[in-house]
Amino acid sequence: MRLNWKPFILSLFVILVLFPFAFMVLLSFMSGWRFPDLIPEYMGLNNWNTILGSEVGLLESFFSSLIISLSVAIISTLTGFLLSRTVYYHPRKRVLTLLTYFPYILAPVVFAACLSYFFLKLGLFGNITGVIVAQFLIAFPYALLFFSSFWNKKIRSYEDLVATLGGSPVQKFIKVILPLAKSMLLMCFFQTFLISWFEYGLTSIIGVGKVQTLTIKVFLFIKESNYYYGALACCLLIFPPIILLYFNKRYVFKNPI
Amino acid sequence: MKNKSENISLGLFVLIGVVPFAAAFGYAILYSFGIIGVVNTGFTLEFWKAVIASGEFFKSFLYSAVIAFISLLISVGGALWIILKFRNQLERKFLSYISYLPLAIPGVVAAFFTLQLFSKGGFFSRISYNLGWTETTVEFPDLVNDAYAIGIILAFTTIVLPFFVLLFMNVYKNERIQELSILAQALGAKKNQVVRKVFLPILLQKTWVLIVLYFIFLLGAYEIPLILGQEAPQMLSVLIIREIKQYDLTKISEGYVAAVIYTVIVTLAAIMLFLPKKHGAYET
Repeated sequence: MRLNWKPFILSLFVILVLFPFAFMVLLSFMSGWRFPDLIPEYMGLNNWNTILGSEVGLLESFFSSLIISLSVAIISTLTGFLLSRTVYYHPRKRVLTLLTYFPYILAPVVFAACLSYFFLKLGLFGNITGVIVAQFLIAFPYALLFFSSFWNKKIRSYEDLVATLGGSPVQKFIKVILPLAKSMLLMCFFQTFLISWFEYGLTSIIGVGKVQTLTIKVFLFIKESNYYYGALACCLLIFPPIILLYFNKRYVFKNPI
Repeated sequence: MKNKSENISLGLFVLIGVVPFAAAFGYAILYSFGIIGVVNTGFTLEFWKAVIASGEFFKSFLYSAVIAFISLLISVGGALWIILKFRNQLERKFLSYISYLPLAIPGVVAAFFTLQLFSKGGFFSRISYNLGWTETTVEFPDLVNDAYAIGIILAFTTIVLPFFVLLFMNVYKNERIQELSILAQALGAKKNQVVRKVFLPILLQKTWVLIVLYFIFLLGAYEIPLILGQEAPQMLSVLIIREIKQYDLTKISEGYVAAVIYTVIVTLAAIMLFLPKKHGAYET
């Protein structure tokens, strides 16, 4: 009889996927986990209570990250959507699209290092506004490219039809374009939120340690060898995206860039 | 009126999408030639000669390219195998949601997790000690901050493989590979012929742009090699930032030389990838 190995591999797959999440949660409850012990000295809610007391500024970092990511997601989705129409209806759209790809594929940290002089001159160095502007510069190309498939012949025909029937540009935008783009706008918002939420290199350069988002905190805890708080920061970092993924997984691969 | 609003939109696009990149690139070029910079005195080729002579950048480039290539090979190969063997099971509701979960893991968390598992005082080292396989932490093999970049490759694979599984699943459905495979079998093709002549060519042809894009992303990755990499050679972004942010002000220009070379390479790659008109590639 031939052994069916698929269930074993699938179980292994599930374990491999869930293990990082379980490990991070368990590590965030621990303290005094010294080598070579497999069981820690303490396992409980102490670490989590500490963040509620805001002793290590994790809650502050969480809200900073949230404000930055929401701002970046809202601004880049709206500007990306509005400007993408001009770009993709333009006769030279291939060249304009190519120009959009340059900042998109350059490593954000290198981009930030080369831009830091201008941020310093504009007073945007080491503050939340600067980090939002810098992250917007990398999220905007993504948003623009994301909407490239939206501005197709079908949408153009709808626009022409509304104009033929006497609709004004504002009516066309509010009554036709926006309802058609609703799900893509939502999707782009989620994606740009995640780009900002996961960003480390660029934030560390423009924020110069003064803007402490969650990714910056994780890195600081690693440097301090405080792995329990590091795991806790990781938990705060990964659980909001899980919730977002649950809501938008259907659309994730509609527009891969 | 219409033209005016379109011109404003185009102006805004240039201001947000083009000017910052041009400004950053221009600044890096000027710095690399000594035209600007606190301790620089004027145009010189000295920094370019120094970078070319030391060879550190090129070593780092090759090192990064090899790591990115191996990570991508494992990820794309692994994802293709998973789709080939477990496609039907992955469509079940529970597994379908589970397979999306790794997308919620950012680079910095993947690096932290890899460090916790594979370092000399990490989870697997403890298990090895308790099983009597090792007696001290030193005996546990170097799997992070190691010469072969095993930790970096593991972390990259953790992030990239799940993405390609989901991407290939989607392309498999959209391109109706199931129906094409049945047709090929009905016409007398063997199982391995279906894989070689239908499954692989369609999936790879439709996703090659994204595969190359991921190679470029991994080439410039920062936080994972920063946490899991070794002192030398370093991956490109880590090396560039180390040079630009160093205390010896006379050496900063060399960092900008590296940044300029890297930007030129990436820009040329973008031109080659996205300027020619492609037919049928799985793109936006």
